Amino acid sequence: MLRRSLQLALGRDVLGRDVLGRGLGTRRGGSRLGKVEGSGGYRGSWVAPVSSFVTFKIRDPGHDVKTVGRLGEGDWNGKMSEIKKKIQSFLPGGAWTQLHDTSYLPPEHSDVVIVGGGVMGLSVAYWLKRLEKPRGAIRVLVVERDHTYSQASTVLSVGGIRQQFSVPENIQLSLFSVDFLRNINEYLAVVDDPPLDIQFNPSGYLLLASEKGAAVLESNVQVQRQEGAKVCLMSPEQLRNKFPWINPEGVALASYGMEHEGWFDPWSLLQGLRRKAQSMGVLFCQGEVTRFVSSSSHAETASGEEVTLKRVHEVHVKIDHSLEYQPVECAIVINAAGAWSGQIAELAGVGKGPPGTLQGTKLPVEPRKRYVYLWNCPQGPGLETPFVIDASGAYFRREGLGNNYLGGCSPTEEEEPDPENLEVDHEFFQDKVWPPLAQRVPAFESLKVRSAWAGYYDYNTFDQNGVVGPHPLVVNMYFATGFSGHGLQQAPAVGRAVAEMVLHGNFQTINLSPFLFNRFHLGEKVHEHNII
Amino acid sequence: MLKIIMPTMMLIPLTWLSKHNMIWINTTTYSMLISLISLMYLNQLPDNNLNLSPLFFVDSLSTPLLMLTTWLLPLMLMASQHHLSKETPTRKKLYITMLVMLQLLLIMTFTATELIMFYILFEATLMPTLIIITRWGNQTERLNAGLYFLFYTLVGSLPLLIALLWLQNNLGTLNLLVIQYWAQPLPNSWSNTLLWLACMMAFMVKMPLYGLHLWLPKAHVEAPIAGSMVLAAVLLKLGGYGMMRITVLLNPLTNHMAYPFMMLSLWGMIMTSSICLRQTDLKSLIAYSSVSHMALVIMAVLIQSPWSYAGATALMVAHGLTSSLLFCLANSNYERIHSRTMILARGLQMLLPLMATWWLLASLTNLALPPTINLVGELFVVMSSFSWSNITIILMGVNITITALYSLYMLITTQRGKLTHHIKNIKPSFTRENSLMILHLLPLLLLSLNPKIILGPIY
Repeated sequence: MLRRSLQLALGRDVLGRDVLGRGLGTRRGGSRLGKVEGSGGYRGSWVAPVSSFVTFKIRDPGHDVKTVGRLGEGDWNGKMSEIKKKIQSFLPGGAWTQLHDTSYLPPEHSDVVIVGGGVMGLSVAYWLKRLEKPRGAIRVLVVERDHTYSQASTVLSVGGIRQQFSVPENIQLSLFSVDFLRNINEYLAVVDDPPLDIQFNPSGYLLLASEKGAAVLESNVQVQRQEGAKVCLMSPEQLRNKFPWINPEGVALASYGMEHEGWFDPWSLLQGLRRKAQSMGVLFCQGEVTRFVSSSSHAETASGEEVTLKRVHEVHVKIDHSLEYQPVECAIVINAAGAWSGQIAELAGVGKGPPGTLQGTKLPVEPRKRYVYLWNCPQGPGLETPFVIDASGAYFRREGLGNNYLGGCSPTEEEEPDPENLEVDHEFFQDKVWPPLAQRVPAFESLKVRSAWAGYYDYNTFDQNGVVGPHPLVVNMYFATGFSGHGLQQAPAVGRAVAEMVLHGNFQTINLSPFLFNRFHLGEKVHEHNII
Repeated sequence: MLKIIMPTMMLIPLTWLSKHNMIWINTTTYSMLISLISLMYLNQLPDNNLNLSPLFFVDSLSTPLLMLTTWLLPLMLMASQHHLSKETPTRKKLYITMLVMLQLLLIMTFTATELIMFYILFEATLMPTLIIITRWGNQTERLNAGLYFLFYTLVGSLPLLIALLWLQNNLGTLNLLVIQYWAQPLPNSWSNTLLWLACMMAFMVKMPLYGLHLWLPKAHVEAPIAGSMVLAAVLLKLGGYGMMRITVLLNPLTNHMAYPFMMLSLWGMIMTSSICLRQTDLKSLIAYSSVSHMALVIMAVLIQSPWSYAGATALMVAHGLTSSLLFCLANSNYERIHSRTMILARGLQMLLPLMATWWLLASLTNLALPPTINLVGELFVVMSSFSWSNITIILMGVNITITALYSLYMLITTQRGKLTHHIKNIKPSFTRENSLMILHLLPLLLLSLNPKIILGPIY
């Protein structure tokens, strides 16, 4: 009788099952904050109470070891010591406090959860806050796993921006982004903070084409001019006149962007967006998204195919170096996780089904490692050097004012390096990057490599262009990823497009319907010629 | 009276001893049966009262509120089924026990004969409500909300206790039936002014009056659905009911003491209506609209004319049903989309047309469309305040306009417009939800055929 009432007092019913839902591993003081995976005896931060007035006889350690595990049926001593601990804790003099500090946890509820805090995620957050009709309507949470951004594509990027694409939507995105960057202090101004300087060098891009690619280059330039980009075509002689350091052998045609192209500092853009988003009320949290809790319903498409429509209503954010996670209730999830977007999409159930169906179409974004090398060449090209992209795929640009240059080359499919880590392969420079560059720019025959690093492309294996917009089946997940190396330069415009999609239901300024997820299932590739 | 109190009390063992899959069915059906019992109290003359026992009595002011309270319990239980479905059986039973306890205390409060008993039960209703808000609410802010709710009401009502004790000493009794005849006019002195304030402040906080309304948006928004329903529909009316009972003792001080509060409520109703136009959170909008409607009731009670009392009673019942209905609708949205922000769920009329009908009717009753009882109440209050002072009609008119504006704004934002992509797969309306809305609307619309039962004792 006494035993049973004590059991009830401890929160277990007659069979010893945990009745109040406060099993091992749940945090005291609030059942929704900070849960812990599994039941390995973690009991939250219990501080052993010390009370000089009341002392109870505590059992010897031999018995206590048994009580740390699961409280079993006949564990009378364990239960007694639990009760004694409880009584000691609320008597005065105890060191137990009801309220723990949970400021590192994300909020329990957020209207929009943006997975990934790189330039894409921050851009979406900024535009969501900027385009919402009544101010302060939507609560936005940005979840970023690594606040040092050590592996993020944004900060490891070379930072170029160009309009020389072949797909009109890409050109439009780039044009708006450059307008954003030019007027960045009107867009991202925060009261009492110094203005941003993203060190935009408007030196232009120079794309070189051999005989084979000349016709394509010319038609591309036509499209670009139609969209409003200022590009001019140059013959090899004009090339030699304008850039004396270039060796135009093998070049049939070159296109040179005269305005709105160049490079800038991605870190400043990131910090500027972050600062502005924070001032507009976006919440930031450091953690990793480990689970999506969703509810699903079955539906049939017009062609009779059975599909499962899902809706994510909870995101589990796991805190670093800890087993603790916080369930965040949300209405919309935005996948801006960059190179890891594929994993996040799989967590949400994208692609779980028989291949070939809409259900089974995965998000084809995977991390690809790309190297960037920094070298010094005292006799190199001067300050007017544009961002040169050779016909062979190797590229370089000027970095700073001390004769330093950045460059690299995208490897072919067979030589793709392992994206396991960000180790740099210096042989790649010797074999694949230096020869074509030295052939194009004779001054580069003698150079000294200063440093090198590697970064990830969020590579879209389908057609190397971005995925923007909602998923047809996981109804409240929006994508803003898969840009395969030209994400940074399109980020402000893509952020606005996604925000318009979320808030208004359609693209209003730039029509990105070719970039929707559906194209993976329908097989409609958006073929872009100028992918670096 | 025991025939209502006993069954309500026995609902508690009913929940604890029911099988798990019968908890909701048992409690909902039995509480609906109990609500039918309260209908028999309508069978009385409007200016008379039914003395059921030395402790309890009902008259035509208590009866509509009693009917509202008992009618609301099955509705609260129906509304809570979904968000409690994932809890353990013991927690579900605890929740229902809290609701039933609250119901019990409210029934006894509305029928109490003695003012001290009324006061004790008035305070006692705070406890189950606080437990419901802080334990089952959704966000972390619910702790703050519970604190505000508890302490605003407590601090407001402590002077009331002292005033009641003094009055008991002075008059010899605090029996509501007796003090109607024994009340002496209070001479004008400082201590009597303080007495007036002490008596009225508790109810002003509860109503709430515009300057003391801070607890309401917090409590309503953070409470779970049943908590919001009972708060909006019944607990606010406790304030109105108390004011109407206690002003019997406070003449003729009310003639000049009421001025500041009338100014506050006139100004407050326009202010809170305007705030509604700027709200982005659906529950917050409905909470502020409650403040606005209750400000009209405060006006009416302070004017103390027969028509204003009739209007106040009608408005209390009408607002109880309408506000509770709006909270249920907002909750049905929240359960599907997991967000209370209005702009994230637009164009619902395309997806859930029947629910859109309920939204339309709820918005129409909220803006006091004729011939609903909302209009009857508002019209009586506007007319009596016009006869008290001609200028108030401007403020009342502005308020009615702004009320119409925000009700329609809420309707258009949630129902009309282009569908957002992320709500395309929400679950269709459950029968439970549709019947919940109908059970709110049916009394509301049927009462427009015979409003005299809710027009109170003066009719």
